[in-house]
Amino acid sequence: MTAQSVLLVEDNAGDEALTLRALKKHGIVNTVDVTRDGAEALEYLFCTGKYALRNSEPPPSVVLLDINLPKMSGLEVLLHIRADQRTKLLPVVLLTSSDEERDSLDGYRNGANSYVRKPVEFNEFAAAVQRVGLYWLVLNRNPPQMQIAATAA
Amino acid sequence: MIAERPWQAAASHIGALADAQSYARAMLNILEDAGTEAERRNDTQRAFLNILDDADDERGRLADTQRAVLNVLDDAAAEADRLADTQRAVLNILDDAAAEADRLADTQRAVLNILDDAAAEADRLADTQRAVLNILDDVGLEKANAERAVVALQHANAEVETANRELEAFSYSVAHDLRAPLRSIDGFSQALIEDYDDKLDEGGRTYLRFVREGALHMAGLINDLLGLARISRAELKATPIDLAAIAQATIKLLRRAQPERTVELIAPATMPAFGDRRLLAVVLENLIGNAWKFTGKTERPRIELGQMSQDGRTVNFVRDNGAGFDMAYSDKLFAVFQRLHSVGEFEGLGIGLATVQRVILRHGGQIWAEGEVDLGATFYFTLSEAP
Repeated sequence: MTAQSVLLVEDNAGDEALTLRALKKHGIVNTVDVTRDGAEALEYLFCTGKYALRNSEPPPSVVLLDINLPKMSGLEVLLHIRADQRTKLLPVVLLTSSDEERDSLDGYRNGANSYVRKPVEFNEFAAAVQRVGLYWLVLNRNPPQMQIAATAA
Repeated sequence: MIAERPWQAAASHIGALADAQSYARAMLNILEDAGTEAERRNDTQRAFLNILDDADDERGRLADTQRAVLNVLDDAAAEADRLADTQRAVLNILDDAAAEADRLADTQRAVLNILDDAAAEADRLADTQRAVLNILDDVGLEKANAERAVVALQHANAEVETANRELEAFSYSVAHDLRAPLRSIDGFSQALIEDYDDKLDEGGRTYLRFVREGALHMAGLINDLLGLARISRAELKATPIDLAAIAQATIKLLRRAQPERTVELIAPATMPAFGDRRLLAVVLENLIGNAWKFTGKTERPRIELGQMSQDGRTVNFVRDNGAGFDMAYSDKLFAVFQRLHSVGEFEGLGIGLATVQRVILRHGGQIWAEGEVDLGATFYFTLSEAP
């Protein structure tokens, strides 16, 4: 069984560092790849551009996707992920500062599997990241199509 | 007498003859006369017969006449009956006509009155018409102004729409962008405390705690501001609701959060109102939450809710026997970020009552407060009645 990996799409370096710290601190040692904007995230997932050589590697177990990204918003990235056969069933967790109902609704409409608000208070934030990591990397079972998509890609 | 004397006889004879002749003549005459008379008699007879004939005819005619007269008399009798009937009928009609005449007179008077009124009404109509024409003239003059006003209103509406869009964009930006730096400030302060504990002395750790407190306070303000903005643009869905039920649910949450406190709640079984359930829950959460908070240093704390009628409208109130406030500052109660107590005395960000006021105003209601330092506060609010 190949190691489960995480794709974190986050443009804020502070949030990135705090997320990685929270995961590590709670013993989640899976590989976490980070892309800094939506376009880069799609290159990573579809193995194009600077990620063309990623072809042989399996897709991530889960994408932690921030909504507020430069160039292409997280919601647009999500639409692209759902529109492609290879990533249609890929688990995507929207991880965002916003508690706007509109964002949450748009997120689920665009096919998010989960919507998690990042608390400002560090301990709450760390606890949220830990639970998300444990749930999607340990508890949750991904659809078998993921393997098919991986070979198709 | 012939045999007595010859001469005498002759004479007698002659005389007799003469006499006879005379007689004969006489007789002839008589006969003639008689013939004539007979003729006359015949004539007369004929005439008489004729007369009789005529009389017969006449009698027939007379009979006819008599019958006719009798018929006429019969007819006359029937006619007399009919006349009597007619007369009675006419008398009845006249009676009726008299009554009718009275009624007609009444009607006529009524009609005359109506005509008088109509004349007066016509005058008034003429006045009205003149007034309307004047108004139309004015309207003609006003039309240009009105059109200018409409254009101005459209501009104003466009500006409001732009302002609302900007407010929404601002809220969105605040929601996303202002929180991330605060998370960094708080997160890395905590990371320093955790990871570099051996390199920090007590003073350094205290400063880092202040940094964290500041960041979290600002995060609270952002949350409340976003809540206020959300309430300002939330769609209002007004339905009949029970404020007492919402109050009971609110107090239940407060008691669960602070089970060590004993606060008495006095509220009627129901408080019917008409409004948006979610937004009015925010109102009661704030008002009851304040009452809960400001009775924190009160012996036997009490929160009382109720409704009363004032000037034909229902006034809802939330009363407490807590810290109260100085009425001199009552105008600052509902302003954003205005606080009448220091954070050291009572926690708070100063946005709760501004939010409450926003909700009440959006419901077409009013809110005001009465208070006295150390004796408590009462918040009153009205809502527009159900349509």
